[in-house]
Amino acid sequence: MNIKEYILSGAVESYVLGFASAEEKTEFEKFCREFPRLVEARTNFEITLEQQLLGQIILPAAGVKEKVMNAIRQQSLFNQTHNISMESSKINNGSSPMKWVAAASVILLLASAYFAYNFYGKNEDLKSQLAKSKQEQTTLDDRLKKLEMVSDPNVAVINLKGTEKAPKSSASVYWDSTSSNVYLVAKNMPKLASDKQYQLWALINGQGGSLLPTSLGLFDVGDDGKIILKMENATKADAFAITIESKGNKGGPTLEQLQTMGKTSL
Amino acid sequence: MNLKLTYSEAELVALLQQQDEQAFSYLYDNYAAALLGIINQIVPDKQMATDVLQEVFVNIWRKINTYDAVRGRLFTWMLNISRNAAIDKVRSRAYQDGLKNHSLPDDPNTMNHSVRLVTDDYGLRKLVNKLKDEQKVLIDLSYFQGFTHEEIAKSLNIPLGTVKTRIRSALTHLRILIDQK
Repeated sequence: MNIKEYILSGAVESYVLGFASAEEKTEFEKFCREFPRLVEARTNFEITLEQQLLGQIILPAAGVKEKVMNAIRQQSLFNQTHNISMESSKINNGSSPMKWVAAASVILLLASAYFAYNFYGKNEDLKSQLAKSKQEQTTLDDRLKKLEMVSDPNVAVINLKGTEKAPKSSASVYWDSTSSNVYLVAKNMPKLASDKQYQLWALINGQGGSLLPTSLGLFDVGDDGKIILKMENATKADAFAITIESKGNKGGPTLEQLQTMGKTSL
Repeated sequence: MNLKLTYSEAELVALLQQQDEQAFSYLYDNYAAALLGIINQIVPDKQMATDVLQEVFVNIWRKINTYDAVRGRLFTWMLNISRNAAIDKVRSRAYQDGLKNHSLPDDPNTMNHSVRLVTDDYGLRKLVNKLKDEQKVLIDLSYFQGFTHEEIAKSLNIPLGTVKTRIRSALTHLRILIDQK
C-alpha cells in the first residue's frame, strides 16, 4: 500500500466531501489509523475547504436564529424525558461479569417502567381534575360577579312576570345603568323544543303607544328552567320582555309568544 | 448576554455535547451563513434553503453526540449534514412535483444544458465550473444533486467504473483549484 499514491488518488477529497461509499469510508478510516500522513492530508484539505466556504456566505434572515433556538429548547425538553430511560439501560451495558447486577437492573428497569406508567396515569388523572376545578373556579367567579352586580345600588332589578300564556314563568333582569350591562336570571322557564329559543328584548316606548324592540340575545334554559346569563348591553329600555322564537331568530319579536314582561322603573 | 466568547473546536464540541445553549448560539453565529451558502447552491429558492438551514441546526443539536473528531473536523461534519439535507429536499416528492423536468435527463446533451442552468458563480460551484465539462457534469450530478454513482452510470450509459474514475480525477482537479485560491 503506497499511501502517497492513495492520498493523490482523490480518496481524501472523496471522503471529506461525502462521495465515498460505505466501504470506501471504512477503508479510509482504517488507513487513517495506520498512516498519520493521511490524517494530515485530510485535515489540510478540510481546513482549506472550510476557509474557502466561510468566504462564500449567505446571511440568513433575522429571526431565523430565534426559531432555531426555540426549536432546540423544545428538543431539550423532549430529550430530558428520554434520557431517564437511556440512563437506566446503560447499567445493562456495563462489562461487569456480575450477572446479578444485570438481573437487578432489569428488575429495576421493569419496576421503574411500572412506576413511570403508574405515575403517568395518576398525572393524567390530576391533570383532568385540575382542568375540571379550573372550570369550576371560572363558573364560581362568574357567579360571584353576578352576585356583586345584584347587590350594586346602580343596578335596577326588573322582575318579568309570566303572561297569560305562561303564568308560571318568571325571570329577572339586572340592569346596570352605569355600564349598561344586562344580566338575565331565569327562575322558572319551561324547557323548549330543540328548534325553539327564548329571546330577551329591550322595549322602548315609541309614538302613539307603540313599542320598539331591540334584541338582547337568544338563550336556552336547562332542564330545571333556571339560568344566569349576561345578555347584550342596553342603554335605554322602558320594559324587558321574553318571547319564544325559532332557533337563531333574526327578525323581530313574535309578540303572540310573549312569555314574561316587566316595566323598568327608571 | 453580550459576552463575546470564542471557543477552540474541541471546547465547542465538548460544550455542545453537554447541550450548552450558549455554545450552540455561538455555533449558529459563526457557521449559519456558510452553511446557508452551501444549501443555497443545491436549493436555489432562498426561503426553502432557509427552512433546510433550520432543520440542519436542529439536527446538529440532536446528533452532536454522534460527531467523532477522529473522523474529521466539526465543519466537515456540518457541511455533510447540510448537503444531505439539501439534497433530500430537492429530491423530495413535494419539491419534484413543484419542479417538473428536474429529474435526471436521459440525453447527456440536455444534461450539460441543465447543469449550466442551475450553476451559480460562487463557492464550490465556482470551482466546479472550472473543471472540464465531462467532470463538471459528474460532480454536479453527484455532489449538488445527490445522484448515486450507479444512477449516473445507468442514465449516462457509462460503465460504473468509469464514473468512479472520472469523479476521482475531477476531485483531484478540484483539490488543485481549491489549493490555488
